[in-house]
Amino acid sequence: MIGINWKTISISGLVLAIMIFVPLFINLGTGIMNQLVTLLIYILLAQSWNLIGGYTGQINLGIAAFFGCSVMVTHFIWVTGIPIVICVLVGSLSAIILAALIGIPTLRLKGMYFAVGTLALAQALQVIMQNIFNRSITTRGDYVQSYNIDYRYYLGLVLVVIVLIAIYYIRRSKLGQALVAIRDEEQAAQVMGVNTFKYKVISLLISAFIAGLAGGLYAYFRLYFYYTGDIFGLNWTFSAVIAVIIGGGGTLLGPVLGSIFLVILGYIFSLTLGQANLIVFGFLFIIVMLFLPQGLMGGVDLIRPWLSRWGKRSANKI
Amino acid sequence: MSNILQVIIVGILVGGLYGLVGLGFGLIQGVMRFVNIAQGSFIILGGFICYWAVTLLHIDPYLSIPLVMLVMFIVGVITYQLLFSPLLKYPKAEMRLDKSLLLTFGAVWIIDNLETLFWTPNSRAVITSYGGKTVNIFGAAVSYTGLIGMGLAILTAAILHIILTRTYFGKHVRAATEDAGAASLSGVNVQLTYMISCGIAVALAGLAGVVVVTNYSITPGGGIAWLLTSMVVVTLAGTDNMNFMIPAGIILGVVQSVSTLLVNPAYQQPIALIIFLLIIMFRPQGLFSRGKRLA
Repeated sequence: MIGINWKTISISGLVLAIMIFVPLFINLGTGIMNQLVTLLIYILLAQSWNLIGGYTGQINLGIAAFFGCSVMVTHFIWVTGIPIVICVLVGSLSAIILAALIGIPTLRLKGMYFAVGTLALAQALQVIMQNIFNRSITTRGDYVQSYNIDYRYYLGLVLVVIVLIAIYYIRRSKLGQALVAIRDEEQAAQVMGVNTFKYKVISLLISAFIAGLAGGLYAYFRLYFYYTGDIFGLNWTFSAVIAVIIGGGGTLLGPVLGSIFLVILGYIFSLTLGQANLIVFGFLFIIVMLFLPQGLMGGVDLIRPWLSRWGKRSANKI
Repeated sequence: MSNILQVIIVGILVGGLYGLVGLGFGLIQGVMRFVNIAQGSFIILGGFICYWAVTLLHIDPYLSIPLVMLVMFIVGVITYQLLFSPLLKYPKAEMRLDKSLLLTFGAVWIIDNLETLFWTPNSRAVITSYGGKTVNIFGAAVSYTGLIGMGLAILTAAILHIILTRTYFGKHVRAATEDAGAASLSGVNVQLTYMISCGIAVALAGLAGVVVVTNYSITPGGGIAWLLTSMVVVTLAGTDNMNFMIPAGIILGVVQSVSTLLVNPAYQQPIALIIFLLIIMFRPQGLFSRGKRLA
């Protein structure tokens, strides 16, 4: 089933080589490196939302809860001196526990309950954490002294590559087939003998784990948190959703494309439009939802036959 | 003892507002099977329009209700035309629900940030001359504004009930709820019915906004908290049960209010979440649901 496509592998290998070697040999400056790490965090978040929203078709409006939970756990374990990789893994496991807590009651029912439950979870966690940590969260002095953005970048790159490969294989496994069946026609999948509840919960747990990885990377990237509520804020959920929808849900590269789009446009708009830049994303999101339901990846598919026809005609002329 | 009585009466008054908040959300969810995540942001928007009416026109906040409801009705019609009517082309109800969730989630982002642009992120409230005055009921102090809010909630619920059960428009709404295709075949203009229902639902959010801005304060990002309240109320009452929104709101209000005796008042949203989880685990059809019925 998995035909090895040499063109795809060579292109992705080339992109990966550029991502690995360019920061090694060229000093890009802290500004661009910060944007790149942000991009990696967005890609992880978007892939997390893509798994539950794009492949499984369950709308999760509280990804900030899983993200934020992992940020807090990773941060407080890391401060005790444990290596960061273990901290990120523990943080992601804590996100899984949270996901099980909210997913098992809500995924049993159809309709809005899962969306409401996750949204309420993110809000409740935001309120609780604001009340517990009502001052900014700081870190150890030696971590600040030894801060190096390159380590954050390469950790993020490794996580993104692992997650992309994992999602590629999940899509081609029995689990992936079950998830897509649930998205397309849940009742039919159930009739065919797919345990829809089990697969939805599995999908949510993996998705929460990936969101947890993003949170761990964020905790490693940002040492200080001035305002705890921001970690659980609506903007994380919105960024993940908008990256998936603009790029194209249910595809492997769509969320990556959407995240790149989001970071570049965010950079441009925040410089030129000031306060209004967030509104532009809202309008963009709604326009893409209404007129381009498959996102940018679907747009490529729309253009492709037109392009090939155009190519043929010009060939005929010659 | 008087402490407990005070807490319960405050809970009932807050619960009236919760019921009012749930009415608008439940109307869209019950009639059209769309979920309007932006309902909370519409409440805040209504509150800001009331704030503007009070500060610019210098009128009493409760006299601004017709103006606020008219503006919000127009906002609702525009919302329907832009966001909901394109979704009617999807044949499956689940797909419409998912798409409406996402679309209105984008609308939340737009409305919240527009409010921040227009009114700055500061918290705003309308303070009237009678705002701090209270009346004694069985030894418990009750504020005038809370009583007015409760009265408005019950009045609105009654009017909505009469509209849905006694008028032709209500008949059309109920027909479109039961089976949109069959209603359309029998001569009901389903699109128009949906549009007006959506307008009414958003106008109700505006009314709730006036009550909120006179009793509490509003901030541009505060819509999500009210949205969650309305969702919990609708889940408590059962999605198709417009009659029991106010009782469900009062139950939620009393539970949250009594809980302030035991835990920090800041933790009211986590308590609402716990109630929501308990309801969907043990009685997902709602506390008052007896069968499929609207109005």
